[in-house]
Amino acid sequence: MKVSLNWLKELVDLPADVNALSEILTKAGVEVEGIETRGCDLDHIVVAQILETAQHPNADRLSVNKVADGSAEPRQIVCGAKNFKVGDKVPLALPGAVMPGDFKIKTGKLRGVESAGMMCSAKELGLAEDAEGLLILSPGAVVGTPIKDLFPPETVLDVEVTPNRPDLLSHVGMAREIATLLEKPLRIPEAILGCKSVSSAPAGDAIALEAPEVCPFYTARAIRGVKVGPSPAWLRGKLESVGLRSINNIVDVTNYVMLELGQPLHAFDQAKLQGGIRVRPATAGEKFLALDGKTYELGPNHLVIADQQRALAIAGVMGGEESGVTETTTDILLESAWFAPAKIRHTSRELALSSDSSYRFERTVDPAGVLAASARAVALIQEVAGGQAEPAPRAAGTAPVSAPEVPFRLERCRALLGADVAAETVERILTGFGLEKTANGWRSPSFRPDLVREIDLIEEVARVIGIEAVPARFVTRYTASSEADRRFDQATQIRRQLSAPGLGFHEARSLTLISEKSAAVFPAGNLLKVRNPLGEDQAVLRPSLVPGLLESLARNFRAGQRDLRLFELGRVFQAGKREEHTSLALVLTGAAAPASWREAKPRTVDFFDLKGVIATLGLKGVTLETATHPALALAVELHRGKRVVGVAGQLLPATARDLDASAPILVAEIDLDVFDPAPATRRFTELPKFPAVTRDIALLVAAEVPHEKITASLLSAKEPLLVGVELFDVFTDPEGVKVPAGQKSVAYALTYRSAEKTLTAEEVAQAHQKLKERLKAELAATFRE
Amino acid sequence: MDQQLEQLRAEALAALAAAADEAAIEAVRIAFLGRTGKISVLSEGMRTVSKEDKPRIGKLLNEVRNAVSGGVEARKAALEAERDQAALAGIDLTLPGIPVPQGAVHPINQMLERAVAIFRKMGFALADGPDIEDEWHCFDALNTPEDHPARNEADTFYLPDGRLLRTQTSTVQARTMELVAPPVRIIAPGCVYRRDEADATHLAQFTQIEGLYVDEGVTLGDLKGTIEYFFRELLGSDAQVRMRPHFFPFTEPSFEVDIKASALGKGDKWLELAGCGMVDPAVFAQINKKRGDQAYDAEKYTGFAFGFGLDRLAMILSGVSDIRLFTENDVRFLAQYK
Repeated sequence: MKVSLNWLKELVDLPADVNALSEILTKAGVEVEGIETRGCDLDHIVVAQILETAQHPNADRLSVNKVADGSAEPRQIVCGAKNFKVGDKVPLALPGAVMPGDFKIKTGKLRGVESAGMMCSAKELGLAEDAEGLLILSPGAVVGTPIKDLFPPETVLDVEVTPNRPDLLSHVGMAREIATLLEKPLRIPEAILGCKSVSSAPAGDAIALEAPEVCPFYTARAIRGVKVGPSPAWLRGKLESVGLRSINNIVDVTNYVMLELGQPLHAFDQAKLQGGIRVRPATAGEKFLALDGKTYELGPNHLVIADQQRALAIAGVMGGEESGVTETTTDILLESAWFAPAKIRHTSRELALSSDSSYRFERTVDPAGVLAASARAVALIQEVAGGQAEPAPRAAGTAPVSAPEVPFRLERCRALLGADVAAETVERILTGFGLEKTANGWRSPSFRPDLVREIDLIEEVARVIGIEAVPARFVTRYTASSEADRRFDQATQIRRQLSAPGLGFHEARSLTLISEKSAAVFPAGNLLKVRNPLGEDQAVLRPSLVPGLLESLARNFRAGQRDLRLFELGRVFQAGKREEHTSLALVLTGAAAPASWREAKPRTVDFFDLKGVIATLGLKGVTLETATHPALALAVELHRGKRVVGVAGQLLPATARDLDASAPILVAEIDLDVFDPAPATRRFTELPKFPAVTRDIALLVAAEVPHEKITASLLSAKEPLLVGVELFDVFTDPEGVKVPAGQKSVAYALTYRSAEKTLTAEEVAQAHQKLKERLKAELAATFRE
Repeated sequence: MDQQLEQLRAEALAALAAAADEAAIEAVRIAFLGRTGKISVLSEGMRTVSKEDKPRIGKLLNEVRNAVSGGVEARKAALEAERDQAALAGIDLTLPGIPVPQGAVHPINQMLERAVAIFRKMGFALADGPDIEDEWHCFDALNTPEDHPARNEADTFYLPDGRLLRTQTSTVQARTMELVAPPVRIIAPGCVYRRDEADATHLAQFTQIEGLYVDEGVTLGDLKGTIEYFFRELLGSDAQVRMRPHFFPFTEPSFEVDIKASALGKGDKWLELAGCGMVDPAVFAQINKKRGDQAYDAEKYTGFAFGFGLDRLAMILSGVSDIRLFTENDVRFLAQYK
């Protein structure tokens, strides 16, 4: 909302410094978002006329001029501009003027020639951002007139009005606010006050309210014989100062009263109306040509103002092109009404059409001000356009005026604010805002629909006394840790661990909403879709973190980054019983270690690197089972008991190629919510007292026998001395030379130890032999020794 | 014999000094101390030494023997030291170190961890709620009426079943109070969603942290203290806090919080960083209705709530001008937060 300071000054005394006013308003919750100054506020600058001009004797670029400034004697001015001729009228800064930037004008010599002032450009006067040459004034400008009078200074505040304060959408409302904040009297002119006690005549057949729930009160007043024409300067100036275009004297008055009192008004050309006014729902598909030149298709959920033939206006939003006031209009019908805010808001949104009128109606206008605004406008119309008004407006329905009595307890106010507010302060504030004291509290004015409860009044007090008047209190309190605390700590620990030097993963954060296509790259559960997505690329809630990470990989590939380790910890969404859960996903690709002068080409990561990373997460009770997965070429599932809690593997090479990868991409995703987030308490195991003995074993088995089966076979012997099995070599030879084809050579280091004594070579040999026998029997292993 | 022994000692030590490697040392050792070595052979002569000379010669013999075997060890150690030194000589210590892969926690989560640590110090516990919400928790419970501008398809993402993606973490206020009677002292971080087209300062998704404290006798002064403490801990003791009255449906009075601090790097400019206020009694009324009791009796309990965006805070603090960098996961960006 744009507020003119000149206009406000007519209603309340303002501080000299606009920044001080802005600060006071902002601190009271009426945020000033911008201050715009227009016109010229400089003294000692007058209209001057060039009488003679001649070349400066000592400078090519300067001229020496004789100018008339309204005084008896012409002045000599040295000037650098070239864009003028004898007879032009220009602004002249006289000695004593202080230009922006604290530049003082004095009589002095320029290259040896006296100059008694400075002729000015628009930029120098602060009238334009950029201007070449002198500002050439209109030939009608009177020599000697102060420039201030030609370009009257004006300051306009751009104020952000919160939706609960419709009363501030007018200059009178804003003045009331400022008067209370500044403790200054509010001066509402008699011409406005006098409009308050206006009576109306029954509408009879002239107005039919066909949707009284959304338009409970409608008034119309005819004025005959008006002379439509341009507005007088004062009216035009007021509107233009706040950015409204002047249309004609009638329309301008309606806009002026809206800006003054906050009540939107509309004037119809009486000659274009067919019979009485109907305030009715639009019919399905009803077409309407609005004042903005566009045709809107309306429906029964929109309200229109119509005559007996057709719609004249979209109620509260915009008038029609065909019924508006034009130069040929002589009789007008002035509408002043009250519309239900929600109705106007919906209509405005649905039609994507908003106006100064809808902006106010959707925030609630003062129901008690409908008639007063009409009377004020009629008086002004008669002043600027003449005409004869009906003795009283015709009114249908009743205005939903509400002025509730609100209970108020000073102790409660003090307790809630934690500040010792004086009773007189409260009274001053609430009275200033237009409330009246009653036995148990206060009666709110009809223009403040936001003041209906005690807390609403307390807020007013808080706003005005300001937060500075409330002493800060520092309170701490013991609070038991929650499940969310433990989950947060679990997540933090995983983040720290994966990003720590060594593992070196970067944490990613991707968007929840992804495309269906992207989700399909890594299927996980059933998709949840958004009904109103911003686009196809954000149509579903991610069922997995992997698609986001893969897209991040692709983006990094494009930027030339090839060795990547990313993880993400976040929510995923799947239709069904467990709709949201926290997931951890990892992706890695490229070199297994950073290249260095020692190892210029480190090997590329593979599935077993991923497996090693998963092992560091210490997921309790998890086993990895070989599995298949539609997105993975190699896959294992993470099992916890019978439950599948994750998947890990190598992405399908075709998918990796689509992402422009140059090395295998390893992927894992784990459902974190199934793991107990409580920090584990470690149990100590006694350190071994006797030395261990290690014996290697190298065996040949069928190529398809998995490592896990070999260890299982070793462990199933339940050899009490065996405390460790470590695989250290796997070898196959496709040529069948070093190892027979179809077989593989695997080597383990077996560690033996007794808790009671140092083992003898014999004891170890015995145990070792027993294990070999077992492997031979169970896996048909042969040994290479 | 004395003379012979002294001569052997000198001979042996000279031979050791000349020995260039382990084998040569061993040869010297065998030549003098071996079973047929010169000293061993000479010691055979002890039998012929007179009774009175025996102790003296015996002592000398031992001395010589020890000197030679000591010399052998010393020479070996000297050779070893020479070899060790030679092995490490000439290494260019200015070569770069071998890099260890190092990652980083995401900047938003670093911010979150800092914020949580500060609030925990003040005795706030964490609370949580789902991203997919119903209208009651997102709007009705928070005193946002049916016809409120935020409640429409243009601003909020809806699911086909009428539920929505929460537009604010204030939903967790409602969820917590629904389950827990006062006192409540929680913070709730989480993702929120608004139907905004992405640009340098907007994403359809961002991260908020919400706070709620309800107890007997909670005042606006407590809220002020909490907000001031938080921002001073986070941004340094020079942080100035301005609370500017504003309007939110679920708090009254409501404030926007402006901060000025050198850590923000914006000079003398106030930056709007948070919203807060005293819990509106209408919110308590909604909660009571849902709970079916009067646990949140507005006459007995008061409370405050606050919320702020972590993305914006992280952006300002680390000088990031495009919010999209936070979700693009370019490692050249992420690696800067090591």
